[in-house]
Amino acid sequence: MRSDTLEVTASARLYGDTHILWLAMPASYQAAKPGQFVMAYIGEHTDPLTGRALSIHRTRAGAQGPEFALLFDVVGRGTDWLARREQGDAVRIVGPLGRGFEPQPRVQRMLLVGGGIGCAPLIWLADRLTTEGREVTLLLGGRTAAQIFPPSLLPPDVEVIVTTEDGSLGRRGLVTAPFTELLPWCDELFTCGPPAMFEALHGLLRQSGLRKPAQALFEQTMVCGMGICYSCAIFPRRGGVRLVCHDGPMFDLRDIY
Amino acid sequence: MPAPSLDLGLTIAAGSKRELRLRNPVMVASGTFSNGLEFARRFDVDTLGAIVSKGTTLRPRRGNRTPRTVETPSGLINSIGFQNVGVSALIAEVAPVWARWRVPVLVNIMGETVAEYGRLAARLDDVDGVAALEVNVSCPNVEAGGMEYGQDPALAAQVVREVRRHSDLPMVVKVTPAVTDIRPIVTAITDTGADAITVMNTVPALAIDARARRPVLPTVFGGLSGPAIKPIALRAVYLAASATHLPILAAGGVSSGLDAVEFLLAGASAVQVGTATFRDPAAPWTVLRELTEWCEREGVRDLRELVGAARRRD
Ligand SMILES: Cc1cc2nc3c(=O)[nH]c(=O)nc-3n(C[C@H](O)[C@H](O)[C@H](O)COP(=O)(O)OP(=O)(O)OC[C@H]3O[C@@H](n4cnc5c(N)ncnc54)[C@H](O)[C@@H]3O)c2cc1C
Ligand SMILES: Cc1cc2nc3c(=O)[nH]c(=O)nc-3n(C[C@H](O)[C@H](O)[C@H](O)COP(=O)(O)O)c2cc1C
Ligand code: FES
Repeated sequence: MRSDTLEVTASARLYGDTHILWLAMPASYQAAKPGQFVMAYIGEHTDPLTGRALSIHRTRAGAQGPEFALLFDVVGRGTDWLARREQGDAVRIVGPLGRGFEPQPRVQRMLLVGGGIGCAPLIWLADRLTTEGREVTLLLGGRTAAQIFPPSLLPPDVEVIVTTEDGSLGRRGLVTAPFTELLPWCDELFTCGPPAMFEALHGLLRQSGLRKPAQALFEQTMVCGMGICYSCAIFPRRGGVRLVCHDGPMFDLRDIY
Repeated sequence: MPAPSLDLGLTIAAGSKRELRLRNPVMVASGTFSNGLEFARRFDVDTLGAIVSKGTTLRPRRGNRTPRTVETPSGLINSIGFQNVGVSALIAEVAPVWARWRVPVLVNIMGETVAEYGRLAARLDDVDGVAALEVNVSCPNVEAGGMEYGQDPALAAQVVREVRRHSDLPMVVKVTPAVTDIRPIVTAITDTGADAITVMNTVPALAIDARARRPVLPTVFGGLSGPAIKPIALRAVYLAASATHLPILAAGGVSSGLDAVEFLLAGASAVQVGTATFRDPAAPWTVLRELTEWCEREGVRDLRELVGAARRRD
C-alpha cells in the first residue's frame, strides 16, 4: 500500500475492446497474490479525482526486470486515458491492495469461472496454479467472441471452455451450463464477473448440495482502495458490513448471498 | 551555518489543565483515515501532529446503502452514514493501540441528541489513548426536526456545554459550512468552553444521474470534499478567525504544503488532510514535508508568523 509512479513497458489492444498495459513492477509487489488489485490514477491533476480499481492481471520477467499487467475494457474516461498510455509513459499506482484468492494447499482440481472482463485476475491465478502442478479448468464466458480472452495466451496445461451468448465462439449460451457439468469434478472454485453471474453460480452450487469453497472477487464503488473511506461497503447475508477493498475483494459466495 | 530550527509546535488549551501539545500542525481529518490502525503498520503515524478518529457514535452503525460516494470535478460527494464500531468497541479494542502511540488521538464524536453527546464524552473521559474530543455538530438533531446542531448557535452551545459537563478532555468543535454566516456559531462555541475549532466539514451537495433520471446517491444529498471546496474552506477559516481567539484547525481540500500555508495565512493554526489521503496514503506526510520546506525557503522560524498574516488589518 504505497504510491509509485511506474513506467509503461508495453501497451496494446489485446482483443475486442480490451486493452493490456504492462508496467514495471516495484519490489514491494513481490508478495502480491492473484485477486489483489491496484488503484490507477488518471492524469496529473485532481480531475478525475479518484483512482480506478484494476486487478493485477499477470506478471512476467521483462527485459528490464519484473513487470505486471492490467487488463481492462475501455468504458469511460479513466480507462480511455489508460489505454492511450504508450511505452515510456508514467502511471501513478497505489497497491497492491486487498485480499486475493486463497487456494487451499492440498487440493488438485481447480475450476475458474470468468464472465467478460472478470477473466483479468483469473489468468494470473491459472498461471500460478498450473505452475504449482494443479489441474485447472477455465470457463470463459462473454456476449460475443470479441469479449473472450485468447486461449492461445494461456498456459498449455489449462483446459479452456468458451461460451458466448451469440454462439460466435465456443458453446452457445452462458457459463452456467459447463459450470453445472464440472461442479462435481472440482475441489474448489474461483470466479470473477458480473453480480448476476455470481448469483447464478451460487444458486447452482446450492442446488447441487455440494459444499465446495467458492471464492469470488466482488466489486463496489471504490475511492481509496485501502480501507479508510468506507465507500465500498458490502452487506453479507448473515448481517454486519464489510469493506470490499480491505476485507475483500475476495469473499466466499456463500458468505455474501 | 545551519538554519535556526523551525518551531512547528502548537498548543491547544494553553495554560489550562487540559493543555494539549502537538508536535506539528498537520493532522488527518475525521473519516478519512479510519482509526489509523492499518496505517500505523506501514507509516510512522507518530511524526504527524495528531490523528482524528472516524466519527464515533454511541451504538455501532452499519452506515448507508451503496453507492456511498460519487466523484465530481476535483471533488467527492460522500454519504457514508457514519459506519463505525460504536464507542464501546472503540474503547475496548482501538484505544489500547492508540495508547502505545506518541501522537495524540482526537476522537470524533457524533450524537443524535444532546444527551448522547454527553454520554459519549463521559465514556471517553479518562480512557487511555484518547487525547481529546472533536465534537462533530454537523449532525441532524432528531429532537428538533432534523436541523443540524451546527446550524444554530444556541443548539451548538448546548452541545458544547453538555460535553464539557461530562469530560475534562480538551474539546475541539467541528463546524459546518452549511450556514449563512459561520461567525455567530463560532462565537457561541468559543463562549461556551471549546478549546479549538475545526473549520470545516463537507459542503452539502447533489449529483444526478441523467440517464437514470435520479440522484446518484440513495440518500439524495451528500457532502462534498476535496480540492473543489478549498476556496470555500479558506473563506470559512478567514471569517471564523474574526469571531474567535481559539486555534482553528482547517479542513477542506488540503493536498499540499502550499495549501497548508494558505490556510495558516487565512487564520488557521493547523490543517487536517482528508480526501487527499484517498489519492495517496502518504499525503499527510507530504503536506508536512512541503510545509516545512516552504518555511525554510521563506525564512519562517515560527509558524505563528504566518497565522492570519493574509488577513486585512482594518
Ligand atoms: C477490485 C476491483 C477490480 C477491478 N478490476 C478490473 C479489471 O481488472 N479490469 C477492468 O476492466 N475493470 C476492473 N474493475 C472495474 C473498473 O474499476 C472500472 O471499469 C473503472 O473504474 C471504470 O473507470 P472509467 O473512468 O473508465 O469509467 P467511468 O467514467 O468511471 O465509468 C464508465 C462506466 O463504467 C461504469 N463503472 C464505473 N466504475 C465501475 C465499477 N467499479 N464496476 C463496474 N462498472 C463501473 C460506470 O457506471 C459507467 O457506466 C475493477 C473494479 C474493482 C472494484
Ligand atoms: C468519506 C468521508 C468521511 C467523513 N467522515 C467524517 C466523520 O465521520 N466525522 C467528521 O466530523 N467529518 C467527516 N468527514 C469530513 C472530513 O473530516 C473533512 O472535514 C472534509 O472532508 C473536508 O476536508 P477534505 O476536503 O480534505 O476531505 C468525512 C469526509 C469524507 C470524505
Ligand atoms: S474504497 Fe475506501 S474503504 Fe474501500
